[in-house]
Amino acid sequence: MNKRLFLLLLLVAAFVPMWAQEVEAPMQLDEPTVERNRHWSVGVTGGIDRNYHIINMSYMNEYSYSPFAEGSSYGVQLSFSPLKWLTLRVDGVMLDKNYYRDHVVGGTTMSLPDTTYNKYLNVPVVLMLNVGKTVRLHAFGGGYWGRWLESRRKGITQGMNGLVSYDETVDFDTPESQVRDNRTDVGLVWGGGLSGVVKKRIEIGVEARWYYGLYDIQQDYMAHLNPRYNTTLVFQGGISYWF
Amino acid sequence: MSSCRKESEVSEMVNPNSRTCKTYTQQFEAVWNGMSQGYVFWGRDTVDWDARYEQFKPVFEEFDARPSNKPVSEAEYNAAYQGLFEGLLDHHLYGMFTVPRAQYEAIVRPGKNDYEHNMDPYSERREELRVLQQRLDYVQGSFCSYDPEDYGVFSIPGMYFALIKLKTGKNIAYFRFTNFYLSNVHEYYSVISSGESVQEPLRKFYGPRYWEGISSEGSFANDESVVGLIIDLRGNGGGSTADLIPFIGSLSQSSTVVGYTRVKDGFGRLDYSPWSEYRVGCPRLHLKSDKPIVVLADINSVSCAELATMLIKNLPNGTFIGERTYGAVGALWPDSQHQHDYFYSGCFGDYDYYQYGRDMYRYKDIYPYYVYTSTYHMVDCDYKDIEGVGVQPDIEVRFSRASLMGDHKDPQMNRAVDYLRKVCIWDQAN
Repeated sequence: MNKRLFLLLLLVAAFVPMWAQEVEAPMQLDEPTVERNRHWSVGVTGGIDRNYHIINMSYMNEYSYSPFAEGSSYGVQLSFSPLKWLTLRVDGVMLDKNYYRDHVVGGTTMSLPDTTYNKYLNVPVVLMLNVGKTVRLHAFGGGYWGRWLESRRKGITQGMNGLVSYDETVDFDTPESQVRDNRTDVGLVWGGGLSGVVKKRIEIGVEARWYYGLYDIQQDYMAHLNPRYNTTLVFQGGISYWF
Repeated sequence: MSSCRKESEVSEMVNPNSRTCKTYTQQFEAVWNGMSQGYVFWGRDTVDWDARYEQFKPVFEEFDARPSNKPVSEAEYNAAYQGLFEGLLDHHLYGMFTVPRAQYEAIVRPGKNDYEHNMDPYSERREELRVLQQRLDYVQGSFCSYDPEDYGVFSIPGMYFALIKLKTGKNIAYFRFTNFYLSNVHEYYSVISSGESVQEPLRKFYGPRYWEGISSEGSFANDESVVGLIIDLRGNGGGSTADLIPFIGSLSQSSTVVGYTRVKDGFGRLDYSPWSEYRVGCPRLHLKSDKPIVVLADINSVSCAELATMLIKNLPNGTFIGERTYGAVGALWPDSQHQHDYFYSGCFGDYDYYQYGRDMYRYKDIYPYYVYTSTYHMVDCDYKDIEGVGVQPDIEVRFSRASLMGDHKDPQMNRAVDYLRKVCIWDQAN
């Protein structure tokens, strides 16, 4: 409850100056952008990501999980800065949460690799602290809501004819998937970066951010369920236009 | 931060393949976890395994709490495991459990079906099978019977061949396979897979005339006088899928898709590999034309015999006559001793106990168990589940014990001959 109250107060504090804007002097639009208070911006972002699939394999010690470094992240952003040093930012991001799993079959050299390619829509809402003028540093933290949109598996399995390759899209509409897969993604996000004004109203930046999933990717469908989480590191650049 | 995430409990779970259980409760926990994690049919099974945990854990805890003057009886122990496994779908499933120094063990075999003449496929049907064999003496034609050394434990060993003469002067070739245990077939598997001759192992185990009968150039089955084939798999208790290539794969002119399989792939009950095609190859020596083939199977056709039935049914010239099969089509990885070590699924427990029984069991202070269960979840070519359901016949003719044992008449066999006779007449007329 206290956290919710704190966030509410922050939001109110952010919007109060905007309501008061009418009684202030008109803004000079050709002044350096980063010096302005109370402005909106929109932008696009894109980058690469690296997902860490967190799972405890216990006695299944021939299974090993590792990040798969071919993920990408791209999206749009909307932000409002009530103060020079404070920005409220909302993103709509499509990002990959891929991972690689290997299973070296016990007592043999036979390997059953599996790469899972997952596409997520994440909507992070963060509060960002900025320092600097033309070149600014920023750090941010917040939460995100997301949706697991697609999943594809590629690898090798043990069929009755021997080892068999597969490359298939997961059908979330099957009864098994509807019982097993938790397609809602909620978690924390934080990070920091660097941005600079390249032209009036236009700013470019780079940043690193962590998405820390708090929801198990599985529904709670069985006793002693072994939870599985995604933690995703994103390096991205972006360009934004300030109103 | 990590406290916001749920803690995994798997580190506390007993490895179902370990030999560390020293109480009733630990044995129960290991068995329950082994099934929870490695049983391949959770995607379809309707048993609430979590409810079973809640129901039976107190029972085993109570066993542990018993004073020494009130030991757990065989009936109590057996009832607990029967209840735990009651209604599970896997028709290969076989569990055995015992405790140190006890003079008893619990055996569970939950697979059931709805035919009243179904008998325990593993021990009680020898009499009927012998009558079926005797019945063949009443089939007019040249009957060649090979009765190799009785090495099989599941049924009358061997295969039988006969020519059934039609009034047209043509013949129907009849083959009967009582099992698919070409016992050292794995030694030759690579040879079979590569399409090389497997005559030597087949001759060794099934007699020299086998090869003349079905596959070689100028053989009976390939002879122009033979217009149709009957493959009799009734009472066939199964065996090695490697046998399917020379025996059943040779009935086609190319490899044949039988169905699709998947395996367990993780801790979660619904963690599976994707489906993969199961195809039976066609050896170099095979049936040269698509003559009509009837497969006869019944409720006592089990496992590999069901796969053979599926294969023939999938052929464009194949017809299944008889009754639904047993419904144990989930195959097992051949090496059941190390299956769980390899895949963390399928059979688990103490293989020595399974192999040698409790009397030979060398650990006197632990609670041994072994669960024999399928590695593969198999569906047919339309992704329909067959486990517990059986392969359904194209033409259903119910088995009649009274007719067979009393009049020595075999309605299923007669229907197959009639069917082929009509098909052959139709073929000749067109």
